[in-house]
Amino acid sequence: MEYGLNVLNSFPLATELGVGEHLYWEIGNVTIHGQVFITSWIVIGILLVASLTATRNLARVPGGFQNFMEYALEFVRNIARDQIGEKEYRPWVPFVGTLFLFIFVANWSGSLVPWSVVELPEGELAAPTNDINTTVALALLTSLAYFYAGFSKRGLGYLKKYIEPTPILLPINILEEFTKPLSLSFRLFGNILADELVVAVLVLLVPLFVPLPVMALGLFTSAIQALIFATLAAAYIGEAVEVPGEE
Amino acid sequence: MTDWIVLLAAEAAETTSEEGGLFDFDATLPLMALQFLILVAVLNVTFYKPLSQAIDGRADYLRQAQAEARERQEKSRNLAKQYDEELQEARRQSQEIISAAQAEAQQQASERTAQAQREVQAQREEADQQIKSQQAEALQSLEQQVDTLSSQILEKLLGRDLIK
Repeated sequence: MEYGLNVLNSFPLATELGVGEHLYWEIGNVTIHGQVFITSWIVIGILLVASLTATRNLARVPGGFQNFMEYALEFVRNIARDQIGEKEYRPWVPFVGTLFLFIFVANWSGSLVPWSVVELPEGELAAPTNDINTTVALALLTSLAYFYAGFSKRGLGYLKKYIEPTPILLPINILEEFTKPLSLSFRLFGNILADELVVAVLVLLVPLFVPLPVMALGLFTSAIQALIFATLAAAYIGEAVEVPGEE
Repeated sequence: MTDWIVLLAAEAAETTSEEGGLFDFDATLPLMALQFLILVAVLNVTFYKPLSQAIDGRADYLRQAQAEARERQEKSRNLAKQYDEELQEARRQSQEIISAAQAEAQQQASERTAQAQREVQAQREEADQQIKSQQAEALQSLEQQVDTLSSQILEKLLGRDLIK
């Protein structure tokens, strides 16, 4: 890790982009990354305003914004239903849906909002998913969610899944519990960071027009990453609530 | 250009010595998790629940309206069938009434004809009788006259004295 860090930071263009620099806020005796919280609050604000606007005057015949948000809700509901199954998906819609919406809006804010214009004493504003803390937090919550789902559905019998189909797979099954959050968080973090870096490097080299296709591609990957994260989270939950031999 | 890169490299060397970096974990992680959970809870109240209710309510409403419409269609179909039946019944009745009236009229006409014929017959018979009686009368009076006339003729021929 240390080695990779050095390589990245000794790359001259990358340092110009402020990679690995954070705006530290001290709360008590712990520090937090201020720039991540600032942008995440903006993202949360967008989500709250959007949902409040959509549900303020609920009409039987939806119009305009309510229609749009209903489309969004149907979309995340379909993600949850496809992965978890018709019977169990309902209580998980808020979690899976918020995962998708939060990551999606966060990623797109990173691509569309010119955060770098805002001057910070240290570091710079970027998508919240640009920070490993955010993606690991979301991935760990996903792990907790599917453990909770498994235990509440099957009780201690959930632990039997480690020796299924054979006890030989026990180490691999245990290893899986670590690789799941690891792959979830690093996939999202890597994609978003890489996208921002590529755009920033291109902007640095050729400031006009050339970065545009990459930025469009960035929008696409951002949306895909949000979809992948939510889908995988729902799939893990669906795997946990699935009782073997029942269908 | 070279100066610039060297400058940046120097800056980079400076930043690596400071704390931080890409994989800098700190209290951001748990706080972000907490914040996300709160967001889930808040969105559940402001977004998922009301909109789900709206969607489900609309689905219920549509299902209900559809069922109602189907019921009404059934009802109207039944009504149309009933009207059809009533119409046929009425048609049949009117046919019956017409034929009954026709039969009655027929009967009345034949009755009247028969009566008229009877009356005519009676009148003719009466006239016949009258003719016959008048004929008889006439014959009688003629006979009397014949008698008188014949006696008168005799008288004239034979003279008065002879006859007495």
